[in-house]
Amino acid sequence: MSRALVIAWAAALSAPALAVQLHAQARWEVSVGASGAQEIVRSRPDTTRERRSGLVFTGEAVATRGRRLVARVRYGQGRVTADTGTPPSPRRNVVEGEALFGYKVRPWLTLWVGPHARTFVVTGLSDRRWLFWSGRATARGGLFPGVESFLELWQGFTGTLSRPAGSASGGGAEAGLELRLARRPLWARLGYRIEQGRANGGPRETVEAFTLTVGYVPLR
Amino acid sequence: MDPHRPETDRRMKRALPLLAALWLAALAAPPAAPAQTAAAALAQGVRAYDDLEFDAAAGLLRRALAAEGAAALPPADAARALIYLAATEFLRERPDSARAVARRLVLANPRFRPDELVFPPQVLTFYEEVRRTTPAVIARAPADTAIRPGTEALAVRLYASTFHDVTATLATEDGRVVRNLYTGPISDSLDLHWNGLDSTGTGSPPNGRYAITVTSRDRGRRVVRILRLPLEVVQGRVDTLPYPAPPADSLLLPERQPLGPALRVLAPGAIAGLAIAVLPSVVARNEDASGARFAVGGTVTIVGIVAFLSHHPGRSIPGNAAHNQTLRDAWRREVAEVARRNAERARGMVGIRAGAPVLLTPEGP
Repeated sequence: MSRALVIAWAAALSAPALAVQLHAQARWEVSVGASGAQEIVRSRPDTTRERRSGLVFTGEAVATRGRRLVARVRYGQGRVTADTGTPPSPRRNVVEGEALFGYKVRPWLTLWVGPHARTFVVTGLSDRRWLFWSGRATARGGLFPGVESFLELWQGFTGTLSRPAGSASGGGAEAGLELRLARRPLWARLGYRIEQGRANGGPRETVEAFTLTVGYVPLR
Repeated sequence: MDPHRPETDRRMKRALPLLAALWLAALAAPPAAPAQTAAAALAQGVRAYDDLEFDAAAGLLRRALAAEGAAALPPADAARALIYLAATEFLRERPDSARAVARRLVLANPRFRPDELVFPPQVLTFYEEVRRTTPAVIARAPADTAIRPGTEALAVRLYASTFHDVTATLATEDGRVVRNLYTGPISDSLDLHWNGLDSTGTGSPPNGRYAITVTSRDRGRRVVRILRLPLEVVQGRVDTLPYPAPPADSLLLPERQPLGPALRVLAPGAIAGLAIAVLPSVVARNEDASGARFAVGGTVTIVGIVAFLSHHPGRSIPGNAAHNQTLRDAWRREVAEVARRNAERARGMVGIRAGAPVLLTPEGP
C-alpha cells in the first residue's frame, strides 16, 4: 500500500512537468489536484450490514486538448474503519482510481468513458476489488464568474467483483461546487459522491464521500 | 386659244358649291332676330328722345326693355335704355315713374353714371339723388378658382351705389353662418376676402353649396337690400403622409433586469443541490444516505440563490430607460411633425365656383 501511495504522489508531483511537455506539443490545458474525502462505506456481504468510514486522499490530473477532448486520471488511497459491529471488524485500506477519456459535446456537457476501480484490502484476506467500465456525463453551470456547480452521473457497462468472483453492476453520481480563482491558477471543489456496486451473488457495497479538493492549473 | 382658260374653269367649278351652300343658308336663316328688334326699338327710342318726342320715346324704350331671354338687351344696352327712359319720364314730368326706372338702373348697375354731355343737368341731379337713396351692392367674383385655405383667399369685389353699411357673411344654403367676412361701411367698392376656413379658423367647411350674403342697410339700420352670391366649395384630394412606426423592439434596451440570466444561474445551483438531496435514493436504493449531504447540497443551492439575487431581476436599468426614452421621444416628435404636415395637407386646395349673384329687396323695388 505504501508503495502505491508513493507512486500516486509521485505521479501527482510529476504532473506539472508532464504538463509542460504536453503544452509544448499541442494546445493542452492541464490541471492537477489533491483532495481529501470522508468516505462512508456500507457493505452487505450477505444478510449482515457493515458501516465503515475514514479518510481517503486522492490525486487527480485532467488534461484538455483543444475545446473537445479531455482525459482524467484519479488515484486515491485511504483507510476506513468499522463504525458498527462488536467486536469491530478489521480495518480496511481503500485504493481507488479511474482513467477516463471524455468528449465535450457542449461547453457545459462532457461525456466520458473508461475504467473505474475500487479495492478493499484487508490483512490476511485477498483483496476485494470492484472494477467497472463505465460511461459518464458531466454537466456544469456557471453561478458566478469562476464559480460553477457540477453534476456527474455514471453507469457501469460491465463490471466484476473479485471476491466472491463474479460479474457486477453499478452506478453513481457526484455533485458539488467548483471555484476557480480569476487571477491565479488555483481552484477548489466541494463535492458529494455516492456510488453503489452490486454483485450478482448478492454482495452490495455503497460508498458515500464528501470531498474537498484543491487544484492547480500549470497550463492554461 | 387662251392659256388661262382651263384654270379659270377650275376656279369656277370650286366656287359653285360654295355659292350654293351660302344660298341655302340664307334661305334657312330666321327672318329677323328678336335682339335686333329690341336694339332697333332702343335706337328708335333714343332718336325719339333726341327729337323731344317723349311719348314715342317712352313707348319704344319700354318695348326695348320688355324683351326677355335671348331677345333681351345686353346689360350695357339695357342700362342705356333705362337711363333714357328715366330721363324721358322725368322730362314728361312723371317723377314717380322716373324714380322707379332710375332705381331699377341703380340696382342693376350701381356703378352706372349718366353721360353728362347727353343728359341735362336736372336729369343728372335727379339720377344722382335716386342713386344716393338706393343703397345696393353688386359683386364680382372669379367664376372658378382654387385656394389653399389659411394661406390664400378668395377675393370678391363689391361695388356700391352709394356710401352705406354692409354686413357680409358666408352661410350655408339653409342660412347657417359659416364665417363672418365683413361688417362696416362701403363707399365705392370693397374687397371681401375669404381664406377658405370656417369660423373656428382650423379647417375648411365640408363640400357643399354656400353663399356670400351681403346685407345693405340704410341710415336707419334697416335692411334694404340683400345680395346673395352662390358658391360651391369642393375639397381637393388630400394625400397624407404615413405615420412613422414606433421604435422596433430590437432597438429598445431592456428597462429592467431580465429574469432569464438570473434563472440561468439559479438553475445549475438548484439542480445540483436537489440532485445531492435525491440521488442517494436513485443510485443506492434501500440505503440510509448520510444526512451530511444536505450541508453540501444546501451550500450549492444557497450559492445558486445568491447568484440569482446578484442579477437583481426586475430592477430598473436607468441607462437603458433613458436610452429608450430618447428613442420614444424622437418617435413622438416625428409623429407630431407628420400630424402637423398632414393637417397642413388636409387644408389642401379648395375649389370654389361662384354662381350668378342675386339681389333681393325685402321692401320691394
